[in-house]
Amino acid sequence: MIYLYDGSFDGFLTVIYEHYYSEKATAIYRKKDYQIGLIDESKTIEADSVKSRKVHEALINKFSTETLNNIQYTFLSCDRNKDTYLLHYIEYGFRIGKRLDFDHTHEVVLPVHQLGKRVSFEVHRFLGLLRFQEVGSVLYSAIEPDNDIITLMVSHFADRLKTERFIIHDKKRKQAVIYADGHWYLSDFHIKEELQISEKEKYLNALWKGYFKQIAIKERENLRLQQQFVPKKYRRNIIEFT
Amino acid sequence: MIENALDKLKILADAAKYDVSCASSGADKKNNGKIGNSIAAGICHAWSTDGRCISLLKILLTNYCVYDCSYCINRVSNDVQRASFTPEEVADLTIQFYRRNYIEGLFLSSAIEKNPNHTMEKIYRTLYLLREEHGFSGYIHVKTIPGADPMLIHKTGQLADRMSVNIELPSTKSLKLLAPQKSVKKLMEPMEQINNGIIQYKEEKRHFIHLPKFVPAGQSTQMIIGATKDTDLSIIHTTEKLYNSFNLKRVYFSAYVPVNTGSNLPSLATEPPLKREHRLYQADWLLRFYHFNAEELLDPSQPNFDMEFDPKMTWAFRNMETFPVEINKAPYEMLLRVPGIGMTSARRIIRQRQIANISYDHLNKIGIVMKRAKFFITCNGKFHGQLDMNPEGIKEKLAPKPKFEQLSIFS
Repeated sequence: MIYLYDGSFDGFLTVIYEHYYSEKATAIYRKKDYQIGLIDESKTIEADSVKSRKVHEALINKFSTETLNNIQYTFLSCDRNKDTYLLHYIEYGFRIGKRLDFDHTHEVVLPVHQLGKRVSFEVHRFLGLLRFQEVGSVLYSAIEPDNDIITLMVSHFADRLKTERFIIHDKKRKQAVIYADGHWYLSDFHIKEELQISEKEKYLNALWKGYFKQIAIKERENLRLQQQFVPKKYRRNIIEFT
Repeated sequence: MIENALDKLKILADAAKYDVSCASSGADKKNNGKIGNSIAAGICHAWSTDGRCISLLKILLTNYCVYDCSYCINRVSNDVQRASFTPEEVADLTIQFYRRNYIEGLFLSSAIEKNPNHTMEKIYRTLYLLREEHGFSGYIHVKTIPGADPMLIHKTGQLADRMSVNIELPSTKSLKLLAPQKSVKKLMEPMEQINNGIIQYKEEKRHFIHLPKFVPAGQSTQMIIGATKDTDLSIIHTTEKLYNSFNLKRVYFSAYVPVNTGSNLPSLATEPPLKREHRLYQADWLLRFYHFNAEELLDPSQPNFDMEFDPKMTWAFRNMETFPVEINKAPYEMLLRVPGIGMTSARRIIRQRQIANISYDHLNKIGIVMKRAKFFITCNGKFHGQLDMNPEGIKEKLAPKPKFEQLSIFS
């Protein structure tokens, strides 16, 4: 049976519950990604907070922190098969226990490690590549990451800029995390008009661009290396590359 | 006198660009002021067109200098544009850049405008403003000015995350040749002072709750490569000595980019020895994380690194009797010495062996570079490299393919 769900973590955990207490899942997809076929049988599962909490508690009791992190990061990956990978990983984990991640080359462990690593790499990369602009009294930033990472990034900036108010806008997913006064929340988000940039902000942008240009050593120029670190797809949201 | 901030920034960034250190790592701290924190791994924020990472606002307070070191662009006898920042300007710029997430913090260095104390005082003042007035908890790396009052250095160390003293050149002889106004003794004094300060802080921390931190991310240094005739062996020896006697966190190498002409200097047409710099960093890595000693890597009969193979590989070629290593039995330290196995894959091997035997098909998935490793390992007793293990044969298989040239039919 192919299970379809709403894309939320609660929904995913409810599917895991159904897998154990009702019919076995052969694959799990997000409903909006899945093209219903003629041969495969599929069923849509509504998120159920009682069932999902039970599964969540079981995961916490049974697994190591490393495994829980892998599950969280892989869940936020953009890979369409990530839910199915997680299902097999969790299933194997319930059999083998806390040493699950020691079995790195196992066919159900490896894909989760790979996806989780890709997500955590992207988070780390964007902690550096994200750029804020001062708009009124708010710091605003737009990013277009491959994976759904803004909720993984926000605590870093919430600590760092704790007296500021800021918005991290994921333009691809039309969502943003909004931070003010020690709290943040995730919200649907879009901007109707072009942002108004103050003269002061323009001047600071120019200062940074001037610095960025000057710091390079001409005799060592290596544009290929630069592109390896800052792929072109990210550059339109990075001030010094625009 | 240059007043425009953009012009000043350009001049003083340009003057600082040959400083190698860009690390913002080594300190893990929460925001305990108004703004800023540090994460242990460090964060790179941008990469310039030379491919080097930008993590800190790296500038000089001033490039007016009384010294005349022959390799330096800012030496007093050079006719370059000069500018100075005030401590207030640097502190403001740092905060504004930091808020926008352009940078991870500040790397502040300076030429010596009047005398060491005058410059060190200005550096201290900048840090004081950042920490006390702006409530900044982000990363700050400052250059210690040799010859400055030890008390001033100590006070600055209580505000900085990392301090560095550049030893500039790998040997006393080279320093005499290119920077006769500097002496090794004078450079070592602040290094020793900072090291003692760090040790003392760690001691006292056990007895006192409220104790100002002292250089929590440790100290580093850098030296110029290729401006003098020093061999890789002497560079690596100096490096090892620095790690051992001063507990340095990092030693940086900087391929000399000719900026001045002089009878003791390479000509202006000399290319910076980037490959050599790369080999030295690889060797430095082997010293710090792979339990190698300097003597194992090079000896007087072979005082320079092979440009074709990395230092770990050349070590393996010279020590063929140690191989092959059995993947399912070898201890961690031995796995680390196999070409193609890094720290992550060695750790994975150890973990996976606790669950089950590792088979040959697994090795790729563990992350081992089989192209190199297969000549040096057995897996469950079976050797998958060539029939006999001789360095020449392996070298031939691994040597980089020569780039063929496109012949022009018109020439």
